Amino acid sequence: MKFNNVKYIGFAILSGLLLTNCTDELDLAPLSAVGDNAYYSNTEEVESGVIAIYDGLQQVPLREFALTEMRSDNTRTKSSEGDWAQFENFQVQPTNVVVASYWPANYNVIFRANRVLENLEVVDGSLRGQFEGEAKFARALGHFNLVRAYGDIPLVDRVIAPTESDFFDRDDTDKVLSTIDADLTSAASLLPADITFGRATKGAAEALLAKVKLTTGDYSGARTLLESIINSGEYALLDNYSDVFYNEGNSEIIFAIPYVDDDANESQDFSFEFTEGGVVSGLNFATNDFIDSIDPADTRITTFFNPTAVRQEEVGKFITQSSDARLCGNDWIVLRYADVLLMYAEAIMAGNGETSNADALAAVNDIRTRVGLEPITGILTEDMLLQERRHELAFENHRLYDLIRFGKAESVLSAFAAAEGYNFAPTDLLLPIPQNEINVSNGELSQNPGY
Amino acid sequence: MKKFTTQPGIIPLGICLLMLCYFVSSPVKAAHPTTDVIDFISIISEATITGTVTDNNSTPLIGVSVYVKGTSTGTVTDLDGNYSIEVDSDQTLVFSYTGYVQQEIPVGNLTSIDVTLAEDINQLNEVIVIGYGTQKKSHLTGAVSKVTNERLDQIPVARVDDALAGQVSGINIQSTNPAAGEAPTIRVRGQGSISFNSTPLVVLDGIVVGNDADFLSSLDMNDVASVEVLKDAASSAIYGSRGANGIIMITTKEGKEGPTRFDYNGYMGMKEVPDNDYLTTVDDWLSEARSYYGDEELPDKLQYIERVGQQTDWQDVMMDGGMIQSHALSARGGTKNTNFRAALSYLNDQGVLLTDNFSKLNFRLNLNTKVNNHVKFGVNLNPSYTKQRRFPIGVHDAVRQAPWLPLYIDENNIQYLSRFTRGGQFADAQVGDYFWERMFDDYNLDNGAPDPDGSATDISSTSNTNALAKVLERERYRYQTKIYANAFVSVDLADGFFFKQTVGGDMRFTRSTTWLGVEATRNGARDSESILGTSNQLHAVSESTLNFNKDFGKHEISAVAGFAYEEWQRDFSELEAAGYDNDFIQTIPAANLVGGSTFEAEESLVSYLSRFNYAFDDKYLVSLSARWDGSSKFGPDNKFGFFPAISAGWNIGREGFLSDNTIIEDFKLRASYGITGSNAGIGEYDHIGLLSPVGTGFGLTGFNPSNIANPELRWEKLIEFNPGLDVSVLDGRFGLSFDYYIRTSEDLLLNLPIPSVTGFQSALVNRGVVENRGFELELRSRNVSSGNFSWNTTALFTHNKNTLIDFAGASGLISIIDSKRAAEWIALEGQPIASFYGYVVKEEIGLDFIKSPFFPVNGQSQDIYVKDLNGDGVIDTDDRTILGSPYPDLIWSVNNSFRLGGFDFSFMFQGSHGAEVRNISSQYIKNEFNSNQDYSSEFPDGDLVQQRIFTSDDIQNASYVALRNLNLGYTIPTNSVRGIRNLRIYLGAQNLLYFMAEGYEGFNPEGIDLTNSAERNPLTYGYQRRPAPIFRTISGGVNLSF
Repeated sequence: MKFNNVKYIGFAILSGLLLTNCTDELDLAPLSAVGDNAYYSNTEEVESGVIAIYDGLQQVPLREFALTEMRSDNTRTKSSEGDWAQFENFQVQPTNVVVASYWPANYNVIFRANRVLENLEVVDGSLRGQFEGEAKFARALGHFNLVRAYGDIPLVDRVIAPTESDFFDRDDTDKVLSTIDADLTSAASLLPADITFGRATKGAAEALLAKVKLTTGDYSGARTLLESIINSGEYALLDNYSDVFYNEGNSEIIFAIPYVDDDANESQDFSFEFTEGGVVSGLNFATNDFIDSIDPADTRITTFFNPTAVRQEEVGKFITQSSDARLCGNDWIVLRYADVLLMYAEAIMAGNGETSNADALAAVNDIRTRVGLEPITGILTEDMLLQERRHELAFENHRLYDLIRFGKAESVLSAFAAAEGYNFAPTDLLLPIPQNEINVSNGELSQNPGY
Repeated sequence: MKKFTTQPGIIPLGICLLMLCYFVSSPVKAAHPTTDVIDFISIISEATITGTVTDNNSTPLIGVSVYVKGTSTGTVTDLDGNYSIEVDSDQTLVFSYTGYVQQEIPVGNLTSIDVTLAEDINQLNEVIVIGYGTQKKSHLTGAVSKVTNERLDQIPVARVDDALAGQVSGINIQSTNPAAGEAPTIRVRGQGSISFNSTPLVVLDGIVVGNDADFLSSLDMNDVASVEVLKDAASSAIYGSRGANGIIMITTKEGKEGPTRFDYNGYMGMKEVPDNDYLTTVDDWLSEARSYYGDEELPDKLQYIERVGQQTDWQDVMMDGGMIQSHALSARGGTKNTNFRAALSYLNDQGVLLTDNFSKLNFRLNLNTKVNNHVKFGVNLNPSYTKQRRFPIGVHDAVRQAPWLPLYIDENNIQYLSRFTRGGQFADAQVGDYFWERMFDDYNLDNGAPDPDGSATDISSTSNTNALAKVLERERYRYQTKIYANAFVSVDLADGFFFKQTVGGDMRFTRSTTWLGVEATRNGARDSESILGTSNQLHAVSESTLNFNKDFGKHEISAVAGFAYEEWQRDFSELEAAGYDNDFIQTIPAANLVGGSTFEAEESLVSYLSRFNYAFDDKYLVSLSARWDGSSKFGPDNKFGFFPAISAGWNIGREGFLSDNTIIEDFKLRASYGITGSNAGIGEYDHIGLLSPVGTGFGLTGFNPSNIANPELRWEKLIEFNPGLDVSVLDGRFGLSFDYYIRTSEDLLLNLPIPSVTGFQSALVNRGVVENRGFELELRSRNVSSGNFSWNTTALFTHNKNTLIDFAGASGLISIIDSKRAAEWIALEGQPIASFYGYVVKEEIGLDFIKSPFFPVNGQSQDIYVKDLNGDGVIDTDDRTILGSPYPDLIWSVNNSFRLGGFDFSFMFQGSHGAEVRNISSQYIKNEFNSNQDYSSEFPDGDLVQQRIFTSDDIQNASYVALRNLNLGYTIPTNSVRGIRNLRIYLGAQNLLYFMAEGYEGFNPEGIDLTNSAERNPLTYGYQRRPAPIFRTISGGVNLSF
């Protein structure tokens, strides 16, 4: 063999050998994300988990209106099409995708909160309490959203693996509510009164806890909490009702989920879907029942509806200012001071159907006089309070749960359904457990009655 | 387009019968080529023999090997087919040429021997390209089909895969969205994966270029010499963790020794969509309405529509046809040691839709050189550029608009424009603007003018802008630059023993732009946006193999062992801006930046491979192969996969006991068993638990777990058993190949839904089993082969049955694609992976119960009566059943080719039977919305209806029979023209006939939506609304060699 060939063979074998030793090349680290081994090892890393909770919360309000407002006498779809019409018709199917998306959105928030709660020991002392409070507030909010929508639900108080099927079955509503109560009580004691807008505060924990206590009938407990918020001086009603929605981060807001205009990641699209231009050509349009219920003197009417819309039933509280119609920045208000005042009256009424307590009347009248309505004198009835909540908090996803909490849901909604030609049954007050969750639960998860 | 009512199977059956009749009745003719004795001279013991070798058309064959039997003396024919050789009179000359029947002629007293070689229809001595080597077809023990590019480059289609439709059994190439430049869907032996697509691996000149069809869009068919499809696991196991979806091996043309020869192939064709009565006209609709209303006056809306008097044919507007043209020029040649082929080509396809367009530019250089007797070196280089403008909306959306709607406002129709309606939304509209349906609302029929009070007649049924605006005001482009390169050096180490080192790879640079102009949607400028995306991939390969090929008497051994390393670098970035005030410029800074993202990833693959083939006396064949693949994508617990295969064959035809028979020429039994894999569904870092950055509305960014780590994550595994046989009878006049296979796909990559109480909704795991079982039959017949007339027929049949065997406890899973149209699919064990699920139609709701039965135009009720299947008196979810599946039972093709003198003619029928499609287009086109057509109050059995989209009404027969290709050519005698070697002109056609099944309503029974990930999910496969229509192409072209 000639020398030349030896040279080639040498090159070939050499390159072969060089290339043979590269199994190390099979361990590649991700370039655009972080691997989760040994993460959450210091304050900064745990805080990144706390921030992630708020990212998770951004998913919750996106379609919540369908499960609350559209399932009450307040709103409907524009054109009664497809899955979306199931809510207004009280014909919700267990396979409905909106129902199926609300469940994981809330459990994802709970998961993120539990991740933080399990890694608190590495956090600096000064921040540990705040992080714990924020996580417990979020976990309680997630469970409260779920228990009101679905009834008995799996209670998840730690990070669970897909194999831990003990956690998949439903816990009694009472047990869930008492855990929520405990989380919020703890959060209220740990959280600061004031912090970056968008993060949970002491007032937020107290206001949510008050709502939980009203739900469980602990009126005196609720009253104490609400008084504490009122007396804290942290919050006040704005003069102009419209500013509550269009002057974000104002003093009336107790807890909101902020979004940003024109940001593919941090914008919401419910504002877009509330318009006729939306993907579904109009969701959450006001019902005639709602429109007819408005007092002509009520100045809130200019905020209820979109004045620029061709269709007068388009909701006007969340009109986007973004340049991209789909990337809307309107914040979602979870708790605000007007709600606290009305809850205060409710706590004083304490399930008695009416009250003449001056504090209760003053709280409600603060809200009425702001919008040009006559103050209530003498006796405040449950119906008056419910009506005030319907209008003050219209399209803010309170109506259905208010009706249920006041024990009026069956009567009001069956009358509404009869007038509209819908079929309402008392079992419609709870949503079906999403069918896909039942399917993968190893038989642990059972369906609600009526589905 | 015509519809036929008979069973779709009858046409192919008829053709087969005809073929068979001919075959039985015609006398068996000698298949030997004719030998003309030109001269005769008395006995001389040694002489120089000269002559010319031609084919049946008298076209000279270049490069035919002419040698003296039993010696190493030989030569090849020159450019005019001439040869000259020194030979003894007692010796025999052998004429051998790939693809032709070999001939042996005793020299005797001859001094001149002219030979006509016949094409070998069965080509048993053909060489087949297999993974990391080649093999004689007669020694093949796996299931491999080969297509030689004879006329494929004359089929007027833009993509290589489109040209392959119907050419190979066992592979389904479906025109799921035949817009310009769009890829068809390719499946080899059925769908074997639950969670991801299963496109075969594409190997270009030995280098793996990906398991997507991307490279098939930029490659030029004129550069392709042959395409082999490795179908069974034993053949594809040498590709290890990437072989499970089959392999498409493409070999490009190489240079040949001789003076430089230039070839030009060019064609131009017209594409058009055949007429279809799916869309109604205003006139037809009104006459139907009139016969319903009888003497009554038509309802106001219809009167208004009649008065408008516009007839817009949305099919004509949106499917405007187009031209396709292709020009390819190549040069090839070489010396004894070095040969080359260089080619340049351009193709433009205007597509049949309004704005779609695809063009590509290709350059290729293949160069091989012998450095010395032991060392060879070669390079392939192929840069290419493609530009595609995509039709921006679904076809259903483009043609759904009312036929009474004009495209633009003009001086006549402006009288209907309502400037008052909808709060004066259209107050400023003027001549030349797009006409919206809503602009016609509030028209006062009595006054003959729009009514300012806004309570007069409305005829709009959508708030959308004109469909023409949706198309013309949007632009979606995709630009791709690709560079394919590979270089090898091969060194002979010892007798039969050589080492080969290949280095190569490919680069893809993709830029895509999306533009929504300020008039593109009903929301106007507030929906305007510009998106710029770039994605790049660098892929490098190094392969080192030791090869051994040697005969020891009757023992023939061929073996290869090697090592391969591959690496990918990918990056992706996107910028999105919104809020443009006008259409002047589309740059990102001209509006607000609303989003941006970047992503980078790496992947590596380390492989060891080996194969050992052994043949004894050409009779007993055995092949063993094994590959170990280690991938960065696999979890640490399963870093390496092992993929073995074994196959064996027995050439019974060569046994002594059959040597006397005159019928059977070849008879081979074979069987293969192998294990291969697919890693296509695994992302680069899926086995790692990742924390991804997440943002909030208050400016802070956190990190959040985005998936569950799975250290066991590994390839999908395919186990396949494939017995088969190849028969050739009557001197190769008739051949048959049959394969039966059972493919079991295990450890499927399943995004297993898990309870979301865990914080996650799914986990990527290896779970589930799918089986594909079927057969392939290939029949090849040389019906007539005489001096100047020949007729060959090839028929291919493929049957496949897809069954979900095990679904990891999730059997019965119901999936949907679109919450607004929540039609269901079910994944049920014992059934195909995806089955359409829903209610069975009982009957239509009578028109008398519909409030406005003839509005809108082409309207149809949203609901329909369905069957109470369980007989409990109520219609509920228990009355749902399986309504069909998207997978065909039988696909076939029959190809006939004729030659008569200078004329050649070929045509191929192709068909598919047994698949259904969920064609949801009617919901849009026929306005199946309650908002338009409510029931009257006395509507009977109102609780026994369901929306059509949930019923069998949308499940339609997707079978078809097409005259897929037709080619008629004439070779012009050019002996007199100096410098021209060959000149042929031809006419081509695609889909000249296309029969759709009874009950199918639409433009493309093969169409499947694959735009988003839900549609691409095999669990919800078979949804149809967007795809481009089937079209027909008529083209003319020329081949010129000089």
